[in-house]
Amino acid sequence: MSTSKAMQQSFALRLSSGTFLAFWCVLAAFPIFWIAVMSFKSPVDAFADSPWDVILGPATRANGDGLSVLDIIIGLVVLFFAIRWAFTRLPGLVRQYCPPGLMVLGWIFGAVLYGLAFVLVFFGVLPLVLGALNGLLGPLGAPVLGLTTDHYVAVWAENEFYRNFLNSMLVTAGVVTISLTVGTLAGYGLARSGSDLAFWLLILALVFRALPHSVLVAGYLPVFINSSEILRPVFGDGAPTLYGQPWAVIAVLVSINQPFTIWMLRSFFQNIPAELDEAARVDGCSHFQAFRRVIMPVMWPGVITTGLFSFLLGYNDFLVTSLLLDAQNQTMVPAIAGYFNRETTTTDQVEAVAAAVSITAPLFLLVMVFQRQIVSGLTAGAVKG
Amino acid sequence: MKFKTFAAFVGPSVFMMLLFIAAPLVSVFIQSFQVTQPILEQVEVETCTPGFLTQTCTTEIKTVPVLDDNGKTVTETRWVGLQSYRNVLQMDKFWAAVGNGSWNDIMQIDFWKALRFTLSFTLLTLPLVIGVGLAIALAVNNATRSIRGPVIFISLLPFIITPVIGSLSIYWLFVGDGILTAMLERWTGTNISMFAQAWTIELLMYFYRVWHVAPFAFVIFYAGLQTVNMDTLESAVIDGASRWERLRHVIVPHLMPLIIFIALIHLMDCYRVFEEIVGFRSQAHVISLQWLTYDFMTPDDAGNRAISRASASAMLTMIGIVFLLILPLRRTWRDHKGSAH
Amino acid sequence: MFLKKIALAGAVSLMGSAGFAACSYENTTPIKSLSAGFEAWKAVTDAMAECGNFQAELDQEFRTKQPAAFEANPSLYQIGGVSNGTITPLLNAGTIRPLDDLVAKYGQNLSPNQLIRINGKIMAVAMMVNTQHLMYRSDVLADLGIDTPTTWDEVLAASAKIKEAGVMEYPLGATLKSGWNLAQDFNNMYAGFGGKFFNDDNTAAVNSEAGIKSLEMMKAMTEYTDPEVLVSDSTYVQQQFQQGKIALANLWASRAGAMNDEAESQVVGKVAMSAAPRAMDGGVPATTLWWDGIVIAKNISDEEADAAFRLAMEGLDSEMVKGANDAAIWLVEGYAPTEIAKGAIETATANPAPPAYPSTTQMGLLHSALGNELPAFFTGERSAEATLEAITEAYTTSAKEAGVLK
Repeated sequence: MSTSKAMQQSFALRLSSGTFLAFWCVLAAFPIFWIAVMSFKSPVDAFADSPWDVILGPATRANGDGLSVLDIIIGLVVLFFAIRWAFTRLPGLVRQYCPPGLMVLGWIFGAVLYGLAFVLVFFGVLPLVLGALNGLLGPLGAPVLGLTTDHYVAVWAENEFYRNFLNSMLVTAGVVTISLTVGTLAGYGLARSGSDLAFWLLILALVFRALPHSVLVAGYLPVFINSSEILRPVFGDGAPTLYGQPWAVIAVLVSINQPFTIWMLRSFFQNIPAELDEAARVDGCSHFQAFRRVIMPVMWPGVITTGLFSFLLGYNDFLVTSLLLDAQNQTMVPAIAGYFNRETTTTDQVEAVAAAVSITAPLFLLVMVFQRQIVSGLTAGAVKG
Repeated sequence: MKFKTFAAFVGPSVFMMLLFIAAPLVSVFIQSFQVTQPILEQVEVETCTPGFLTQTCTTEIKTVPVLDDNGKTVTETRWVGLQSYRNVLQMDKFWAAVGNGSWNDIMQIDFWKALRFTLSFTLLTLPLVIGVGLAIALAVNNATRSIRGPVIFISLLPFIITPVIGSLSIYWLFVGDGILTAMLERWTGTNISMFAQAWTIELLMYFYRVWHVAPFAFVIFYAGLQTVNMDTLESAVIDGASRWERLRHVIVPHLMPLIIFIALIHLMDCYRVFEEIVGFRSQAHVISLQWLTYDFMTPDDAGNRAISRASASAMLTMIGIVFLLILPLRRTWRDHKGSAH
Repeated sequence: MFLKKIALAGAVSLMGSAGFAACSYENTTPIKSLSAGFEAWKAVTDAMAECGNFQAELDQEFRTKQPAAFEANPSLYQIGGVSNGTITPLLNAGTIRPLDDLVAKYGQNLSPNQLIRINGKIMAVAMMVNTQHLMYRSDVLADLGIDTPTTWDEVLAASAKIKEAGVMEYPLGATLKSGWNLAQDFNNMYAGFGGKFFNDDNTAAVNSEAGIKSLEMMKAMTEYTDPEVLVSDSTYVQQQFQQGKIALANLWASRAGAMNDEAESQVVGKVAMSAAPRAMDGGVPATTLWWDGIVIAKNISDEEADAAFRLAMEGLDSEMVKGANDAAIWLVEGYAPTEIAKGAIETATANPAPPAYPSTTQMGLLHSALGNELPAFFTGERSAEATLEAITEAYTTSAKEAGVLK
């Protein structure tokens, strides 16, 4: 859009708005940046008093782990281009090579591929090349910035964190898929029904959404643990023990998330003109056919946005997963919290920080990829009181 | 839409909510009027426990539950009416404290202490979240197109980060001689301990919540700003409306439904504030209603949990939330009635 | 560098899964255990895992899960890790089995000291003891010519001296995090003043002279502790020690090893341990004795119980102890106490000896009441008398709800 003359802003306003934005960005990113820095330092440095010690990591450097000036410069350059590329080229590539019907899958595939390539280049190829260069440069190649990847190795290799990662993926994927399937149906039904019943269902959902979770969750535990005894009369000897089962946790998380999902999706559907599906119904479609033929093709922006919120809920959940899953099926967040229990050491804590930073990375990718979709999805007219 | 079709559409969703939310809720409601106790007996028990080299054996009278023939604990469930609610509310102490006019005494009762914090937390962060979210949205909307992408990305970080980790990251920045505390100390020249008194902890908790939720408000407002009618804005400019007047009379009314949406979500989420209490370890100074319920629920070493009081406190929390929601809900009801005709 | 480490880690994990080299037999019955997650448990469960078919769950929620999981039929876990506190709900519900026959069959290497007997029946096998004891910076105390404190008054005097000398601003560390930790520190002090926790009719007896004295002593401590002491747990105090910020603390024996961990600590070799300080002359060290050990579930088949116990014995053998000697004060044969165990052993063998932490239903209730009501005293909102009264009231309410009091 072109800005008309009258809409142009004074310099002072632009400056203050820009300053505010810069301040906010620092505020938003700093704590996350800081734990990322901590995760690369030896425990002594990570919890040092002086910020410079944390950043420069003298104790880490003393152990022989560090980056030289050259490493830093080249690393930053690579990082800059990698991020730039992700914002500018990646979306185009995905659009180009992906069959139009499978856009979501294409995005996910692209993001995962990008993430893997990034890790390989940044942590695999780059250190090898730079290691050789540093050797040649002599004093300029000497480490100035203490940095160690020990904690990541400890977390991912020794503590087998990838298991938790896979469990998290399973639970999250389950939550998103089921939540959206069940939620779109209900959201559509609620949006197209003007009955009082629909209204009261929505209000009930709202009250459910307001419930403190700890109340519900503590009630599940005894039932889940004894479920094979409780269900034996119904299912016979094959009755499952729900405790520790990822799909049971998925069901719980989906239910807890339903109120928000159906409210959100209902608003989306309300903004799709009812004339559309009415026309289809006049043509002889049933409600379900109308939903499938007419609504489904146009509902994706809303579904993606809602799906993202479901993803965050499933991925970040602590209360439900920590109580209802056993060690074998533990997801990442409770596994990290496990590092902080009553009997931990400082090393454990730094490892937990490394784990925490690792679990933030997929969220980064997700937002990078879906950012436009979120905004356009919300703009498409989601949220209405 | 016929009822049958409607039922088919919402059926799965309603079934799941009934099974996993309504059913536990009903059982919580019933339990809040009941007390379930094991039948206890006093027996003499000799216990031998290790020292470093030799054992010490003690014989004492212990109170232990009676087991039936199958080895299950025999329990007895009684209806106690409002007893559990009385135990949580402690009205006698409350009125005595009110009689003395002593605020401090009221704040010694866990429930009222928790209610005080929960309410001030909810009501103070609400305008902040909306204000900050709106400010960021306006600033981003003002910014050059090319930097919007990265800025939106950075702005969303506090919202997407796992809450447990987000609150810990802020905790570490301030606890003891955490780097930000150290910086503040150098700046002010005084010795600062952020976690030594209630008000600084509370301040940090407010800050954390605004930091965490403002991005959510921001994206929603930002999306809303994209749909502001430019014609209306330009005609306002022609009418000579100042920037502030345009904001007040065109933009804010346009965003009003979104503001109400955010307010509603925020009220609900804040009212059950919990992570902050655990993350900032503030139990000594401030507690919240959900934390109180959780604390009743958590078993001690001997496995005791105060289920009845937990249920009562959960129901009281529910009643509170219904009160808070009445206002926004009345509007939804009017909309519903309006759209039905 | 990074790739090399990955390769190395991969090789290590391969070696780990490759064989049952360290185990004397191969376990064929699938066995699961549920316990807390600290170092000693890691060592024991790793040793058990060498025999195969074993899955260890080191869970911070084990307190919540254990009673319910053992009550299920069949029990979800065969082996449970307990302490003298957390064994209570299992004993009360009767979900763990007597081990006399299994001990006779597989327990040749157990010392009689390890066998936890309730009414003569062996209900658990202890593997380690834990207690809070005095840890101090020997260099700082030596510089200032301070003798090793043996009573709390001396600890306070030493703290005052260190503070005056300007060596440290807050020389004393304390695990006063509100809740469990704070309550435990009160218990220690109260035991040190010879206090009795309960009357014969199960009512709380903490509102006593010993209670007041304990609170006063703890208040006096806070003069020398960090102002944020109400959020400081064991890990935090341990870090303060490691970073050289404090000189004295009454801390868990299981934390002693971390002081000499080169990767974390800046005070390697400078921290010494001695017996927990006494609260009054001629009294017991102001601490309580704890043990950790294993139990076997009742709701499992005898064959499973047999296999589980045999596996547990493999985890508690001298080979495991050799690999993790400093992880705990082991009761297992083959343990060679080092310098860092000195304080704990002095505490446990003191005469008169400190009491074991009383593991009863009432104590659980009182512990929670203490944890919730004590903070108000330390924030200055309530006097000592009012606090003790509030504790008694809170205990009475929950004891009535639990049916302990009529």
